[in-house]
Amino acid sequence: MAAQQNLAGPSDSDTSSVSDQSVSSRSVNRSLRVAEKERRKNKASDPYVVALKYFSDVEAGTPVYGNDEVENNMVLVEKVAYSKGLSPEAISVMLEFGMSLRMGTSLCARVLKCLIPASVVPQEAVVRAVVWLGVGKLPISTQVLFIKWVLTIFDLIDAKDQLRAIYGFIFSFVTDENLCPFICHLLYLLTRKESVRVFRVRKLLELQSKLGRQPFLLHLLSLYKVFCPELVTLSIPSRMKSGFRNHNSTWKSALTGVQKRNGSQVALSNNPAFTIKDKTNSRKRKHYHLELPALSSVVNKEAQTEPSSSRKLLPLVQLHSFAQLLENMHRIELPAQMGSLLGSSLPLQYLDFVQDESALLRLNFWLGYALHEEFLFCGDGGALQTSEEALQFLNKLLSTQHFLQEGFSSSEAFLYKFLAVWDGSLLRPQILGLLSNVPVVPSSQIGRLLFEPLMQLFFTSSMFFKCGLMECLNNMLLKWLTWHSVYALEDDLDISLNSHTSINMTLSGFKDSVMELVDFAGRLSSVGLQLEGCHSLFLSFVLDFYETVCDMFLKYGLPLVVMPPPGVFYPAMCATDPVSVDRLAYIMYRYKVNLTSAKSQEKLTEQAFHISRETFREFNQYLVVMVNCLWNSKMFQPGMGVQLEEELLLKSNVPQYWTSFDLIHHPAFMSYAVDFHQKCWPGTKDMDLNSIKNSKPWSWYLEYLFTQGYDGLKQFVQSNINWQLTAGDKRGDSRSTQQT
Amino acid sequence: MSSLKPFSKLPALNTANILLVESEEQLQQSLAAALVEEASVTVNVRLAKSLPLPVENEESRPRIDLVVFIINLTSELSFQSAEASLKYLDPGYFLGKVCFMVTNARSASVPTERLDGVRKLAASLHCPLLFAEDQTSDGVTNATERLLTMLKVAAGLVPMATALYLSHLTRCTVPPDIDQPSFD
Repeated sequence: MAAQQNLAGPSDSDTSSVSDQSVSSRSVNRSLRVAEKERRKNKASDPYVVALKYFSDVEAGTPVYGNDEVENNMVLVEKVAYSKGLSPEAISVMLEFGMSLRMGTSLCARVLKCLIPASVVPQEAVVRAVVWLGVGKLPISTQVLFIKWVLTIFDLIDAKDQLRAIYGFIFSFVTDENLCPFICHLLYLLTRKESVRVFRVRKLLELQSKLGRQPFLLHLLSLYKVFCPELVTLSIPSRMKSGFRNHNSTWKSALTGVQKRNGSQVALSNNPAFTIKDKTNSRKRKHYHLELPALSSVVNKEAQTEPSSSRKLLPLVQLHSFAQLLENMHRIELPAQMGSLLGSSLPLQYLDFVQDESALLRLNFWLGYALHEEFLFCGDGGALQTSEEALQFLNKLLSTQHFLQEGFSSSEAFLYKFLAVWDGSLLRPQILGLLSNVPVVPSSQIGRLLFEPLMQLFFTSSMFFKCGLMECLNNMLLKWLTWHSVYALEDDLDISLNSHTSINMTLSGFKDSVMELVDFAGRLSSVGLQLEGCHSLFLSFVLDFYETVCDMFLKYGLPLVVMPPPGVFYPAMCATDPVSVDRLAYIMYRYKVNLTSAKSQEKLTEQAFHISRETFREFNQYLVVMVNCLWNSKMFQPGMGVQLEEELLLKSNVPQYWTSFDLIHHPAFMSYAVDFHQKCWPGTKDMDLNSIKNSKPWSWYLEYLFTQGYDGLKQFVQSNINWQLTAGDKRGDSRSTQQT
Repeated sequence: MSSLKPFSKLPALNTANILLVESEEQLQQSLAAALVEEASVTVNVRLAKSLPLPVENEESRPRIDLVVFIINLTSELSFQSAEASLKYLDPGYFLGKVCFMVTNARSASVPTERLDGVRKLAASLHCPLLFAEDQTSDGVTNATERLLTMLKVAAGLVPMATALYLSHLTRCTVPPDIDQPSFD
């Protein structure tokens, strides 16, 4: 809601007045100013204010050692910093004092360590400090410390236009071996298309040849490549190590504390996004990443003040309707923080339209970093406090992926790592949801990335996990098949999946992956059914999966037919609940429809594809078994899938054992048969179910079953059994389709 | 030094016995409390800091169906202790009656080498490796459920499944590091 208010902001304020800051930061500044004024009024003689004044006025060259005044003032500032955080003005003063080395280097590091912002960090202060970096008097460790600090508080810097303006200056530090990883990270965050230049690319490549393929260089280069592919000819590996690991836990924990203590006060004045979510205010800096930042962007100052500039950019935040988006499609400025895109639908529509590689890369980078930080690289006891936030974050991510109808590559990479250390219960619905969005995995890697961790989890977990995983695999298969049907190109049988990442896959490669997935699910369900004693709930999820599988050819145009393994077929056929048998009948009916149409198409086009004889053989065998069992009362006949020795069957003392799985005596339908018998012959004392088998009652019985809602059974019978009422005593025989 | 043997004693009717070995004794207690809640079978839980088990209780000790080594990844000692205890187990146990349970795997303070070390250990012994979230009660409940699933099979209470069969399906494999950039 706050975001909407924020969006509505510019309309009532004077839009023609050129501002160099977005609305949100303007209002932030205003409220800060008010707060600051109040504070000043209250505590005119506050020792903290005096201390700040001291630091802004102190002369260069004042001795540090034995100087009690510095020590006292420093302690005062530190105390405030660690308890409440420093105001933007205080940050400016202290940063200037520290970086100018007015009182030596030892104090500089100490100052940097206590620079905990209470709200935002003024951009000017950072720029000035960067300039001090160039003076060259700072020891290298302090330089690193400073850049790390900038990276940590990057999201809190109120604007970035001036920082972008000194891009070249910052870039010059890249040659410094110690600073390079951090500078690369900073550049990554600042880079825009205009900043990519030939000489910079050349410099980075030169560095790479010197330092080796460092992930931080590769990340920056990959961003450059996205902006200007013609300048970077380097091949970038598709799956990169998460490049920038420049987190600093001491600052983060300090920020955590400060933000927690300031609670509502900061939350209100700082960032509208803070108030969107929940009102508990247990915000932690470390989890700031999980907060979707507010949609605000840094407006290019020159573009607005100089009418001569060729392209005027329009920040996304100023768009309010879809029509506006369409009008301004060509001059959209992306927000400073890509994470803010996740929350709102308009920018997502834009993202989906333009297929802007750089935007997606930035979003992926942010997302991958956030996911890794929060779920794989937790601080102490991370799981405990984050659960609520993590839940919301992942739900947001899921809804975004549903909106875009595809997964992000960074969430995919994260999942593969997360599965390897997952306990199977933490955030289960979300993780399984993300998992079902995974784009097609090449068959060479699918086993290692997905199947091995999932198998270990599957067999050691409860039945509910097993059901959840089957559902997830079903969804995954559905998505893959949908992608295939959307993106498949007819001419060369080549499909390009996942429009943004342009993974190209041949049809046979895709078929292999689907095959692997179906086989894997088949293995899981066979053994799972065995371990769970053919539990009907689990069986229902397995049948869900095969309802997708049996229709792959007709519904999704994938020339592939895979039969269920015996470990699934027989438990379903002999299940004690009629619904499972009915669904199996439906599945077999769909298999038949798919196979016949594949067969006729094969004859028609003379090429296309080839379904193996083995598949037809399997299908025919299942069909014969099913018809024999349910219809002809010929269970346990030689040549069928289930065989038992004659003696053993006699020993069991079951009378007429061969009838025990027909539609009358099947454990799932027995109750219907009894009910039917009672309705048909009311008043007869001795119940003889076999009397139903006579021609007339049999047809009535079937009618009766079909009216109970067993449509699958109906379709199965109608399509497979040639049965006429007039045929007298001889009921129809199985007419298994001879398609081989 | 006596080693624990899987088949030296007769099993009791409808009973499963589990031994939890953890040097730090943190997760043990809560797991044990949750495990004995199981209603469908009698679950006996034995706790130990490390192996070998003391000789004096030898007689009264029931047959142990599943040995679980709980390793806290944030402590090197925990891993070493589990490693040292392994040699007091009869080889018969490694046919599906041993599993490793790891806590704190997602913590920032865990060096990746240690997790890799545990993986390699579990893979070389063909044992399953479970991960547990010991910080939350949901995590403990889930860990208990998973242990019970394995315990029931190991104690022979699940028809048509044996410990060796299950461990063949669930045993840990050493993944080639997916962190490594693949230059293909």
